[in-house]
Amino acid sequence: MDGERANEAAAHAVAFPVGGGELGELIRNYDWASTSLGPIESWPQSLRTATDIVLQSPLPLVMLWGSDGIMIYNDPYSVFAGQRHPQLLGSKVLEGWVEVADFNAEVMRVGLAGGTLSFKDQELTLYRNNRPEQVWMDLNYSPVMDESGKPAGVLAIVVETTAVIEADSRRAIAEAKVRESEERFRALVNATSDVVYRMSPDWTEMRALDGRGFLTDTASPSVAWLDEYLFDDEQTTVLQVVKQAIEAKDVFQLEHRLRRADGSAGWTLSRAIPLLAEDGEIIEWFGAASDVTARHEAEEHLRLVINELNHRVKNNLAIIQAIGAQTFRNVDDLTKAQANFVARIQALAKANDLLTNEHWVDASMQVAIETALQPHRPDDPSRCLVEGPSVRLSAKTALSLSMAFHELATNAVKYGAWANDAGKVSVTWRVDVSDTGRQLHLEWRETGGPPVVSPQRRGFGSRLIERGLAAELEGQVKMTFEPEGVACHVDAPLRAPDNG
Amino acid sequence: MTKPLRILVVEDEMTIALLIEDMLTDMGHEVVALAMRLKPALEQAEVADIDFAILDINLDGSPSFPVADVLMRRGVPFTFASGYGSTGLDPAYKQHRVVRKPFQAQDLERAIEQTA
Repeated sequence: MDGERANEAAAHAVAFPVGGGELGELIRNYDWASTSLGPIESWPQSLRTATDIVLQSPLPLVMLWGSDGIMIYNDPYSVFAGQRHPQLLGSKVLEGWVEVADFNAEVMRVGLAGGTLSFKDQELTLYRNNRPEQVWMDLNYSPVMDESGKPAGVLAIVVETTAVIEADSRRAIAEAKVRESEERFRALVNATSDVVYRMSPDWTEMRALDGRGFLTDTASPSVAWLDEYLFDDEQTTVLQVVKQAIEAKDVFQLEHRLRRADGSAGWTLSRAIPLLAEDGEIIEWFGAASDVTARHEAEEHLRLVINELNHRVKNNLAIIQAIGAQTFRNVDDLTKAQANFVARIQALAKANDLLTNEHWVDASMQVAIETALQPHRPDDPSRCLVEGPSVRLSAKTALSLSMAFHELATNAVKYGAWANDAGKVSVTWRVDVSDTGRQLHLEWRETGGPPVVSPQRRGFGSRLIERGLAAELEGQVKMTFEPEGVACHVDAPLRAPDNG
Repeated sequence: MTKPLRILVVEDEMTIALLIEDMLTDMGHEVVALAMRLKPALEQAEVADIDFAILDINLDGSPSFPVADVLMRRGVPFTFASGYGSTGLDPAYKQHRVVRKPFQAQDLERAIEQTA
């Protein structure tokens, strides 16, 4: 019997606890006599069994034994404990984890009263590594009975979930950011009046296009976008710039013509950026295209206006050259010729003013004649009659008519009806309508002036009237120098001003 | 002086037409026809007894190229005149001479000598 006991004691000394890794070794060598548990050889079977369970578990387990909650734990728990290990072993739980003493006091109270506790993702602040750490744990506590069947300790399964919680939190933040970014993007797309489109990496397929009424929508992926939006003669240019953008993986930008939703031609400023994957490959292209048709049309109009203005300026210079050459041709009196020249340039300038007011489209014959006569006519209104039905003249015809009437008026002032105090000039016309079209009959008639002497030489004025105005009007113009006054008869077909 | 020519002047600006006429007369030529619009210019180009023609490119908005076609068919040499310079010329007529307005008598004379 004694021998058996001795053997049994020896077996205890060597075997308990069996294995258990680092903690098994530490427990075997620990000075348990200095704790309320007493020397390890004196431990009751219940404590021994519970210690074995703790050490053999792959889960982090800690046992809090006795009213002091003396801590016995395994290797997985030592990892969780951080730098608190190995001092924690054999310490009282309330002293070992000072920062959560209240929590553990409650655990001890419930556990030793035979109750269990479970906490899912319990948040605690621990000082495992000499600094505060926010940690989350799944905690499950159950009582351990002694030989008398009363709770003598509390077994705790401690699974740290911090990594999972933090990952969840990071994911939630990331998802919120993506959602926010998507909302901002959608707001931008809604706010802009630009067409928005998406293209496949090589632009063979259009994934979507929101046309905003400017262009036809493309709701589902389509490879027919090129013909849908671009005229044949534009495709090569666009594809060339697309190719360069794909090669450079850089912004596509081009102002080009395209087919609008209503089928007509318009202009767009189109810009697309490549969205790149982490490996640098293009995922897709995102683009915006604004309608710059109005601006283009304005620029085109401006270009035409500048060309037209340039033409008119040169034309006026040519006319002035012609007037100068004619006025100073074969002159005896240079002073008189200079005055004539200035008066003719003034007449030209007035005719230009008239046509500018009429936007160089067409002009009223009445206004054209009155404008030409105005600088020369006497103040007395009865000495100048201008009367006839409404006739519209093309800008060019109005200009020629103004120049011709300037010549008639200056002649009347120098030698004719306006050379004395009583003579009168009447300008009257009628329009005859027949099967062949409308025919203008116009008469300039001077009366009451000094007796007329037929000129020996026809000057520039009469050539301008008889030859120039006749050719301009494609009709006949005849001047007569009867003693009672100069007369001028015009017979010409009337053309509509726009096809003149 | 070149030999006297019988010339058609097509020019839609009245005063310039008269100036050209005077220039040509001073050179000893004769202006047998003067047209200021496309329709009479075409008629004259078909029937007038002429050795040469001066064609304003722009006849109050209409290009004078149809007149040039008639003259080419008849084998009548001509020169264009234009305020646009040669930029107003249809590519099909690029080989023809253009006298730029405003021009002087010598410019016209040189054009006639080199073309007629």
